[in-house]
Amino acid sequence: MTAAGAVASLLLADSRFPAGTYAHSLGLEQAVSEGLDIDSVAPFMSARLRLVAQPDAALSVAARRAAVSGADGDAILAELDDEHGARCPSPVLRDSARRLGSQLLRSAATAWPCGTIDRYRSDSRSTPRPVALGVVGAVAGLSDLEVAMVALYDDAATVACAALKLLGLDPARTTRWLADLAPRIGAMAVEVADDMRPVAQQPPPAAVAIELAASRHADRSERFFVS
Amino acid sequence: MSAELKRALRIGVGGPVGCGKSSLIAALCGELSGELRLGVVTNDIYTTEDAEFLRSTGVLASDRIVAVQTGCCPHTAIRDDITVNLDACEELERHQGPLDLVLVESGGDNLTAVFSPALADVQIFVIDVAGGDDIPRKGGPGIARADLLVINKTDLAPYVGSDVKRMLYDAAQRRGALPVHALSLVSAPHAGPVADWIREQLRAYVAAGGHLHSSASGAPGHHHGHAHTH
Repeated sequence: MTAAGAVASLLLADSRFPAGTYAHSLGLEQAVSEGLDIDSVAPFMSARLRLVAQPDAALSVAARRAAVSGADGDAILAELDDEHGARCPSPVLRDSARRLGSQLLRSAATAWPCGTIDRYRSDSRSTPRPVALGVVGAVAGLSDLEVAMVALYDDAATVACAALKLLGLDPARTTRWLADLAPRIGAMAVEVADDMRPVAQQPPPAAVAIELAASRHADRSERFFVS
Repeated sequence: MSAELKRALRIGVGGPVGCGKSSLIAALCGELSGELRLGVVTNDIYTTEDAEFLRSTGVLASDRIVAVQTGCCPHTAIRDDITVNLDACEELERHQGPLDLVLVESGGDNLTAVFSPALADVQIFVIDVAGGDDIPRKGGPGIARADLLVINKTDLAPYVGSDVKRMLYDAAQRRGALPVHALSLVSAPHAGPVADWIREQLRAYVAAGGHLHSSASGAPGHHHGHAHTH
């Protein structure tokens, strides 16, 4: 870990980084419309961390490891794209991940101009956000641990930010939820970064309820959020 | 249109909720679709009403109209983080292209909303007489710097006690030489003056090989409408 890498990780985790995440609630909008109340948002964030964000972070770390070796890692990145597709049975969520990845890569290609991002942008058909984040993390100088931290934190923070718009809340309260989760996010990030097994041997996302709800959300004609 | 342009001209259409952006775009599509290959990206707030309205007018094939969600941040989507709209514009051109012109309609917002020059080559800001005739005087980046200001629904002025002349005068004070059109889609259902302005922008864009300098780009207060060059 370097100080410059730590600063770059702040940049990537900053909601002002233009990657289009503000338009996503990561399932919260549908959950709220189906009865989830204010007191259940923090548990929702927590469940996402365990069931979705941690497996996604493992993909990001694997992508970082592949991308730091430049062109030699391109074939592995293609495998990780396929791995994401295999681990994400919901076509709605696959499409959402593709869009978020594409948006992240678009801004990152300007922020950190380099062949690695350009090649992945042109070669990848699916640009899932978890893989894209690993590629960008490699180029921006993040360590495995920092990539895992950004991946996990961003998931929870995106939900918290959407909660403000969906539920009418004190913004300090949603910040408290994130602060309360910080030790857990840190511990999970260490666990993800220390896991040297190939992604295919690690547990996949297992949030069937969120996957099914994503389809119901996509079918709605009235919604604020893309996902 | 020349084939070597990298992409279609992108024109942003912004302005407060209810000022008539969607109706103006429908009128423009009706007027221009015979001569130009057109696409529209709408930034709906909650419903897909704007996109549906446009599809229902039948002026454009429905797959030439794309709606994006902006997570309660219509402002962010056109200025601070335009990635959602850039992806939508490019997808539209990839699937429906080549196109000559893409109109990007912002979700209705307040007077401070303007398009990033990276999203819209030039932009139209729309206000209406019913929103209060002091709006041009209040100013803001859309009023002062949009490449074209449209003061819409002039037919309503007598009913809402608005003074169109005063609005035009105040707008000119704010805008220097930048153009302002007073418009009523009741008396001019094809939005002729705005369509002519768009034709002019497109000619300039093509002539410059796919570049256009927007007056909304750069430091505030620096008008590009007057006679000097950069």
